[in-house]
Amino acid sequence: MLRLEGITKSFGGKHAVDGVSLTVPVGQLVGVIGRSGAGKSTLLRMINRLGEPTSGRILFGDTDVTALRGRPLRAWRARCAMIFQQFNLAGRLDVLTNVLMGRAFHMPPSRALLKMWTDDEKAQALSALEGLDMARLAGQRAETLSGGQQQRVAIARALVQEPDIVLADEPIASLDPRNTKVVMDALQHINRHLGITVICNLHSLDLARSYCDRLVGMSGGRVVFDGAPAALTDATARDLYGLEAGDVVGHAAPPPMLPAGVQPGFALAGS
Amino acid sequence: MSAMRQRYPEHFQRFGRDRFVMAAIGVGLFALLIYAMGRLGFFDGTLLSGLGRLFEIVGLMLPPDPGSWAHVKTYSISLLETVAIALLGTLSAAVLALPVALLAARNVTAQRVVRFLSRRSLDTIRSVDILVWALIWINVVGLGPFAGALAIMTADIGSFGKLFSEAIEAADRKPVEGITSAGGSHIFGIRFGILPEVFPVLMSQVLYYFESNTRSASIIGIVGAGGIGLHLAEAIRTLELQQTSFIVLMILVAVAAIDFLSSQLRFAMIGRRGGVSV
Amino acid sequence: MSTHVVRLPEAQLQPLLAVYNASVRSRRRHTLLILACVAVAMLLASISAEVSLSKLAENIHRFPSYIVRLFFLENGQPVWTDFGEWFWGLQRWLRLLGETLLMAYVGTVLGAGVAFVLAFLAAANVAPSRWLRIIVRRFGEVCRTVPTLVLALIFVISFGLGPMAGVLAVIVHTFGVLTKLFAEVIENIDMKPVEGVSSTGSPWHVAMRFGALPQVMSNFTSYTLLRFEINVREAAVMGFVGAGGIGQDLVEAIRKFYYSDVSAILVLILLTVAVIDMLTSKARHRLIGLEGKP
Repeated sequence: MLRLEGITKSFGGKHAVDGVSLTVPVGQLVGVIGRSGAGKSTLLRMINRLGEPTSGRILFGDTDVTALRGRPLRAWRARCAMIFQQFNLAGRLDVLTNVLMGRAFHMPPSRALLKMWTDDEKAQALSALEGLDMARLAGQRAETLSGGQQQRVAIARALVQEPDIVLADEPIASLDPRNTKVVMDALQHINRHLGITVICNLHSLDLARSYCDRLVGMSGGRVVFDGAPAALTDATARDLYGLEAGDVVGHAAPPPMLPAGVQPGFALAGS
Repeated sequence: MSAMRQRYPEHFQRFGRDRFVMAAIGVGLFALLIYAMGRLGFFDGTLLSGLGRLFEIVGLMLPPDPGSWAHVKTYSISLLETVAIALLGTLSAAVLALPVALLAARNVTAQRVVRFLSRRSLDTIRSVDILVWALIWINVVGLGPFAGALAIMTADIGSFGKLFSEAIEAADRKPVEGITSAGGSHIFGIRFGILPEVFPVLMSQVLYYFESNTRSASIIGIVGAGGIGLHLAEAIRTLELQQTSFIVLMILVAVAAIDFLSSQLRFAMIGRRGGVSV
Repeated sequence: MSTHVVRLPEAQLQPLLAVYNASVRSRRRHTLLILACVAVAMLLASISAEVSLSKLAENIHRFPSYIVRLFFLENGQPVWTDFGEWFWGLQRWLRLLGETLLMAYVGTVLGAGVAFVLAFLAAANVAPSRWLRIIVRRFGEVCRTVPTLVLALIFVISFGLGPMAGVLAVIVHTFGVLTKLFAEVIENIDMKPVEGVSSTGSPWHVAMRFGALPQVMSNFTSYTLLRFEINVREAAVMGFVGAGGIGQDLVEAIRKFYYSDVSAILVLILLTVAVIDMLTSKARHRLIGLEGKP
C-alpha cells in the first residue's frame, strides 16, 4: 500500500504540489487528471524520488520512502518503475540494452558497464519485449523507432524491473491514437494480470474514465477530486480543466478499435 | 516633431545617448589605432621600404621549386612526420581529456570543488601556448618529433577538456533520468545515458582538431620539436626562397587533404546510422 | 502476487536471441575494424614521430620537476617569498606586454577592416562578380592556412626584426579567417531588404549599406572580438621568431633556463589573457543583449 501524507513541493515560494494526501491500495489503476501545470508530473516524480518533496512523507508499507538514501533509495526506485512522456530511452543504444537498464539495480557494475549481459538477463528482456510485440527489433537503435515503439520499449524496461508500482507520467501525450490504445492496453494488462499498482497521469479525461479504477483530480497542486470514474460529473470536470475543458470533455473521440491482427499479444501473466 | 518628442521623450533621449556613446567609443578606438600604428612603426618608413622588399621576396619565391629530388624526399618524410605528430597528439589528448572533462561537467560531477579545480587546470593548460609546451617537452625528452607530439597532446588536453565537458553538459538529461528512475546508479547513468549520446559530438570535435593540429605541427619544428617546420625555418633563414614556397605549398596541400578527409569522416559519422557502437 | 515476466519457452526464445546476438556481433565487428585501423595508424605514426615510451618513462620525472623549478628563484627560495626579485624585469615586461596588445589590436582592426570589405565580394548571395568571388575566397583560404609564424618568419626578412613583422602576420591571418566567417554571415542574411533597396534603382554599394549591413553588424563585431582574444595569444608568441612582443623575452628565458623569469612572464601573459577574455566576453554579451531588444 502506498501512502502520501501531506506532500508539498515548492519552487521559489510557489507550491507546485500542495499538501497532497492519498492512499493507494495494492493493485489499483489510478488515473491522475487535471490541466497542464496542475502538479501531476511533479507528484509522480516525487513518488519515484526523482524530485524531493519540500515537506510531507511517502510511505510504502512500513518504509518511509522520503527518508531513503543511497542504495536503499535505488532499491526503491527499482521497485517503483517509471514511464515517461518522452520515453527517456538512450537513443543510440539498442532496444535490448535499453530494456536491460531496468535490471541496472541488480547487476554488478563491473560486468554491466562492459555490456556483458548473461543469457538469463537477455532472455528476460526478450520475453518482456515479445509480450509487447517488439522482440524482433531488439538489435535496433532506439532512436530509429517510432514513438509508439519507443514507449513499448520503455514499458518493457519497466517490466523487467519486476516492480510493485508502475508510475506513468503522461505516457501517451506524444503518441497517435493507434499507439495510445496499444500503450494504455499494455498498462491495463500489467495492472489486471500482474497485479501491479499503476498510477497514470492523463490529460485526456475520456481515456482516464475508460481505463482507470479510480480518478484523482488535481488543480493548483491540490487534490480536488478523488473517487470512482462514475462519480466524476461533467460539471466537476469543467471545474477541473477550466478553459481546457473543451479539449478533454466530449469532443475527444474514443480511441479507435484496432484490427485484430495489430493488437499485440501478451505473453505476460501472473503466477 | 517637438510634439512627438514630448510624447515619447524616453525614445528620443535613449536614441540620442546611445548614438553619443557609440560615437565616443568609435573615436576612442580610432585614436588608439592611430597611436598603436605609430608605436609599431607604421609611419616611419619601415612599412614602405619593407613592402618593397616583400614584393621582391615574393617574386623570388616564384615558382616554387624544391631544388632537388633529394629535397622532395626529405620534405615528404618530414611532412608525414608532421601528420604523425598531429595524429598522435590529437588522439592521445582525446583519450586523456575525457576523464578530466567528466570531472569538469556539472551533470557528472556533483562536487563543486572537484569541478572548479579541474576547470581551472584546463584553463591554465589552454592559456600556455603550444610552442611553450614544445619547449618544455624538449627539456624532458630531447629535440625531435616526440616532443612535438607531447606538446600537441598537452595543449589539446586543455582544449578537449573544455569542449568535451561543454558537450557533456549539453547532453539530454532524459536518458539519464530513465536509468535513474529504474534504480540504476550514477555510473550507469553516465555509461549508458550520457556517453553513447555525446560520443559522435566528441568524435567530430576530435576530427576537427586533427586538421588544425596539422597546421600547429607544421610550425613546432621552428623550435626544434620535429616535423616540416624545421626545414621551413631553415629554408627561410638561408633565404632559399623557392624551397620555402615549395614547403609552404606542401603544407597547404596536406592541410587541405586532411580537412577533406576529416570533414568526410565527420559527415559519415553524424549522417549515417548504425555507426560505431560504444 | 509475484510480478515476474513470464519467460518465453526456449523454442521461441532461441531464434530471437540468435537474431539479437548476430546484430550485436556485426556491430562489434564494425567497431573492432575501426579500432584496428586507428591502432595501425597510431602505430605507424609512433614510428614516424620517434615515440619512445621507455624514454618518456625514464625522463618523465623531469616534467614535474621542470614545472616546480619554475617557481623557485636563483637563490633557491620559492618565488612568492620575494616578489621584487621574481618580477625584477616588470617594467620591461609590461612594456613588451603593451606592445603585444597593440600588435593584437592593430592586427585585429586592420585585418577585420579588409575582411569587412572583401567579405561582401566573397559571399555567394551578394557578390557582384563570380570570378572576383572565387579569387577572394581562394586568397582568403591561403592567408588562413599558412601558419601565422611562417608568415612572421617571411615578414621578418622583409621588414627586419621587430613588431612590424608580427603585426602584419596577424593582419594577414585575421583577414583570412574573418573573410570566411563574415562571408558566411552575409550568406545567411534575409535577402528581402537587399532586394528592396536594389529595386529602387540604387547601386550595389548602397544596397549593401542599407540592405545587408544592418543585419550583419552585430555578428561581425562578435566574431571580431573573439578573434581579438585569439590574436592576443598569437601576438604573445610572435617574439619566438623575432617578430616583436613579449614572446622574445619568454623564449629567451626558456632557452637560457631563467626559470623564475619564465614563470613570471607566463603569469603576466596568463593574467592579461584572462582579463582580455573577460572584457571581450562581457562586450559580446552586451552586444547579444542589445540584439535581443526590440
